[in-house]
Amino acid sequence: MARRTLELPDSVPLSPIIDLWDQQDPDGPDATGIYDFYRNLADGELTGQKCLSCGKLVFPPQIICPSCNSTELEWVKVPEEGELYAFTELKLGAPIIVENYAPFVIAVARFGNYPENGFQISGMMFDESYEELKIGDRITWDILEIKGPGDKKRYWYYFKKL
Amino acid sequence: MRNVAIVGAGITKFGVREASWKDLVQEAGKAVFDDVPNLDKKEIDSLIVGAAQPERWVNQTHVAPLVAELLGIEVKRVISRTEVACASGQAAIRYAWLAVAMGLSDIAMVVGVEKMNTKFMNFSQSSMINVGNREFDGANGFTAPPFFALVAQRHMHDFGTTREQLAMIRVKNAEYGSYNPYAQFQKKVSVEKVIESRMVAPPLTLFDCSAITDGACALILASEEKARQLTDTPVWIVGGVQHVDYAHTTNQMGDLSHWVGLRKAARDLYEMLNIKPDDIDIAEVHDCFTISEILEYEELGFCRKGEGGKFIEEGQSYVGGKVAVNPGGGLLSNGHPLGATGVRQAWEMVMQFRGEVPKERYVDNAELGIAHNLSGMAQLHHIMAYSLKKRSDVKFGR
Repeated sequence: MARRTLELPDSVPLSPIIDLWDQQDPDGPDATGIYDFYRNLADGELTGQKCLSCGKLVFPPQIICPSCNSTELEWVKVPEEGELYAFTELKLGAPIIVENYAPFVIAVARFGNYPENGFQISGMMFDESYEELKIGDRITWDILEIKGPGDKKRYWYYFKKL
Repeated sequence: MRNVAIVGAGITKFGVREASWKDLVQEAGKAVFDDVPNLDKKEIDSLIVGAAQPERWVNQTHVAPLVAELLGIEVKRVISRTEVACASGQAAIRYAWLAVAMGLSDIAMVVGVEKMNTKFMNFSQSSMINVGNREFDGANGFTAPPFFALVAQRHMHDFGTTREQLAMIRVKNAEYGSYNPYAQFQKKVSVEKVIESRMVAPPLTLFDCSAITDGACALILASEEKARQLTDTPVWIVGGVQHVDYAHTTNQMGDLSHWVGLRKAARDLYEMLNIKPDDIDIAEVHDCFTISEILEYEELGFCRKGEGGKFIEEGQSYVGGKVAVNPGGGLLSNGHPLGATGVRQAWEMVMQFRGEVPKERYVDNAELGIAHNLSGMAQLHHIMAYSLKKRSDVKFGR
């Protein structure tokens, strides 16, 4: 007697958990309350927030100020010029979905007068190598378009040397 | 609070194991049951399982009852899994300690376990981006090696720490690892070999990084009354603290070359026990990367801020130096199965205090040991203190 078999599909779709930009939905069950952050990126601006109640800067953006619990947060543009605080180059073990871009520089930059009145933000750098950079270099942010999978178009940011 | 002792400890070989998550749990369980032969399993009333990402690496959640089944334990009091990434194991010990200390549990079992090597290694590694803020740092490729590379770069920039000093951490821990039959790596290495190994994220090379490891470790904790019945050499848990210095994301981290949270945690522990850093004989610290151990010397107060590089260069952290740091070989030699690491540190304390380690890495006449575990991008620091003497019997603050 032939054994009963279960035929599985040839391939299983890519798991969304390896997608680095999976938390950007404006609506539906995965909607994020900070979607305006991504709308601002699409419009060409990297933004943080300022609490209208206590005046503190907030990054990453949130729906409630973690210092005073106010819900009145306004979007503020991250200053365009910042300083390279630390950097490395990921040569081994890059996340699967960006493996083709490795090695790339991962940096931490300071914008404005951090920590009192500024931001410290991580970012990728694509056109620079580790050897060409130094602590204190002037850098700026720019908008990164994430195309795919399929028709999907999303927005992120990256750093570049001035 | 009641006195609480570790009365048994068992460990698996750490490494790239041809063994399932469940196999590892059973191996560690058998090892600890063999270590306390007069314990009747039925007396174990509680179980805490330290496991960081079983749902990612072996697709299994709700792991605590699974472990109870695999080890044949009927839990009547407290059962849970703890997850704080790389410190999930120490968290498990902490909650078992609390349960016994407050009288809810009399005998509690702790199992720390992680199975990280799978057929899909790039998927395993990609899972580490979820330890930081996935949406804002993970999306920039921020896994552990690049983060600790930034810490190393800043420490070198701010304090003049050298590439060679980083390598010396691995040299020391590799030497002790060579006397640890359970360690993933048991070969001694030279400074040159560390520096010339494959670049992962400059300035860190492959040998500056702890490995992706499979392993498990288990403990039995007991109240004083039960401990006296089960062993002649109880190892007492005399204190423990945790501290979050910044929340989670880069913007909250401040200066990367300072681990303020660890500094505060150490201060709290020393106040709790009325001790000074000089009173510590053995320190198992979280050397996930070579740079981590240098910061830990400084923030734990073994040397002045910025002088961690000098501390290793002078050999102060070897057995026989000012304080024996990672005589078990640390994470660098043992490997770092996330949920098992904190439990492995306690296992090392038990073996040290019982004098059951090879003489080359034995710390003679040790009275007080601490184990430091950190989690994530060094956001959260956890320290526990162990001694051959009960807290009430030992005269700290000598």
